[in-house]
Amino acid sequence: MRICWLAGNRLQAPNGAPSAPPGSDPPWVRALLIGSGLTILGLVLFLPLAVVFVEAFAKGVGTYWQALRDPDTLAAIRLTLQVAASAVAANTLFGLAAAWCLSRAPFPGRRFLEGLIDLPFTVSPVIAGLVFVLLFGRQGWLGPWLAERGWQVIFAPPGIVVATLFVTLPIVAKELIPLMRGQGTDEEEAALVLGASGWQIFWRITLPRIRRALLYGVILCNARAMGEFGAVSVVSGHIRGKTNTVPLHVEMLYNEYDFTGAFAVASLLTLLALGTLVLKALLDWREGGAGTAPGDEGGTEGEH
Amino acid sequence: MSIEVRSIRKRFGTFQALKGVSLTVPEGELVALLGPSGSGKTTLLRIIAGLELPDPPGSVLIHGEDVTFRPPGRRRVGFVFQHYALFRHMTVFENVAFGLRVRPRATRPSEAKIRERVMELLRLVQLEGYEQRRPAELSGGQRQRVALARALAIDPQVLLLDEPFGALDAKVRQRLRRWLRRLHDEIHVTGLFVTHDQEEALEVADRIVLMNEGRVEQVGTPDQVYHHPANMFVMDFLGQVNLFRGRVEAGRLMVGPWPLAPQPADLNGHRKARLFVRPHEVEVRRQANGSPGLPARVVRIHSAGPQVRLDLALETGDLLRAELPHEAFHQAALGLGDPVSVTFRNLRVFAEP
Repeated sequence: MRICWLAGNRLQAPNGAPSAPPGSDPPWVRALLIGSGLTILGLVLFLPLAVVFVEAFAKGVGTYWQALRDPDTLAAIRLTLQVAASAVAANTLFGLAAAWCLSRAPFPGRRFLEGLIDLPFTVSPVIAGLVFVLLFGRQGWLGPWLAERGWQVIFAPPGIVVATLFVTLPIVAKELIPLMRGQGTDEEEAALVLGASGWQIFWRITLPRIRRALLYGVILCNARAMGEFGAVSVVSGHIRGKTNTVPLHVEMLYNEYDFTGAFAVASLLTLLALGTLVLKALLDWREGGAGTAPGDEGGTEGEH
Repeated sequence: MSIEVRSIRKRFGTFQALKGVSLTVPEGELVALLGPSGSGKTTLLRIIAGLELPDPPGSVLIHGEDVTFRPPGRRRVGFVFQHYALFRHMTVFENVAFGLRVRPRATRPSEAKIRERVMELLRLVQLEGYEQRRPAELSGGQRQRVALARALAIDPQVLLLDEPFGALDAKVRQRLRRWLRRLHDEIHVTGLFVTHDQEEALEVADRIVLMNEGRVEQVGTPDQVYHHPANMFVMDFLGQVNLFRGRVEAGRLMVGPWPLAPQPADLNGHRKARLFVRPHEVEVRRQANGSPGLPARVVRIHSAGPQVRLDLALETGDLLRAELPHEAFHQAALGLGDPVSVTFRNLRVFAEP
């Protein structure tokens, strides 16, 4: 019966009407849905992207380069790179440790902690910034103690790092936890019985198995760290050439009606976003073909 | 090297997985831990490997040495996990070599020695030529043998296998079973394997440990546990078995209004009994006046198979499964719904608890 039906369907196809599988929508509905989807995508995604580059190059490539070579812009780029590097490094370590604890070691309060890890995603970045001002600022809880030792946190790069750290805290851990939980501990136990030490198990078994998710997390964390605005804006103090990160610098230029400059610097952030997407796609493509799909308990055939 | 465990208890939260297990696996033997799921067999295996700690004061001895608190990596046990737990990012070669590569520098063999040993093991498990494959590119049976080679690489004192054939299909399982038995006869390492498959245990093991609800029910050779079950659990768990109820009356064992046999001596003082009989020990005859045995009726006939299986309804309401050779079935000329009388060649009676 099934074969007859399939054959009949195939015979119909050349006669004009597309042989839609039963239960699918008529062509005009599909056209409408796809059309509106593409329109919205174009309006909120592609058009803004185009605007950035059109505005950046509006006064020619020369002006564009000049805007980028402005010492304050270079300082902002340098600061952003430093902040992102510190935040990503710290969060990679934290993410690994947190994911290991939350997926491997059962301890009381684990669920609570796991819920708490999402906090930076749910709190408004501005609030996060304010909290750090209240903590480390001159009138804050720890401010006087820090000031006595000559350490300035707020309105200085350390504050920016701390705020960025907070905002990006869950990213790496969030990538790792579901994966590590799904993988179970069998392979680690196998290594343990074979005589491997804790470090050997981490470097040779645990890390290689989560490598892709970790890279994913690092890339996302980096993108977020470089693009963070709200929390950083509160703690930075907007000192030109000193505590301005790239996103803050864009805003400052824009507020000063230097549109070409603002969009030129903004184009850097846009390129960062595009680069992140390309990297992610590359990772997917490279690992996708390696045949290391998680569910490979399948084949029991082909035995000699 | 022998394994000995002494009064092992293990509790997980509110669940008592093991309720005091003592056991000895003599050197060079292959022993099966057999029982239904949840009987604690895997937990016991993991305790022997050191992956779990027994609740005090239980202890584990390997070759007479107390290893209760020794970390798993220093017990020299080979462990084959139920789903093999192969390192999926490594080749077959690296999987097998792992236990040698992680040794401290002082005792680590040279690269040439490692290579030699790995190739020797791959020959042993019949996987030469597969050393550059990854686990995902192997069949289930091949993975299983890689896991075995990896466990043997560290020259273990004892070999522990958790449901070694559980994840394989029936055909492969049978072949690997025989192969494991041959391999064991070849290398003679003391082995303990967990299984819930009685057929597997009866075929492969020198000795079977029957476990139920965290306790050992019986230890013995396959012959002993099959033919002389120590209690109702063992009788019920091993092989196909019919169970029905009887009672003791005036020195006789009765089923319904029908006398079945003289009362067994160990049923003194009991009124109720449970009767066990294996299907191939049931005799079925056409009912005739005065024929001995219990009256029953044929309710189903399965004749596809090495033996004819009959489902019989006793007049007491109990259902009984009988197995007889095809010739005997044709001679008796039995049909659906026929009245028959049933006798037993071998009946085991236990007092109702």
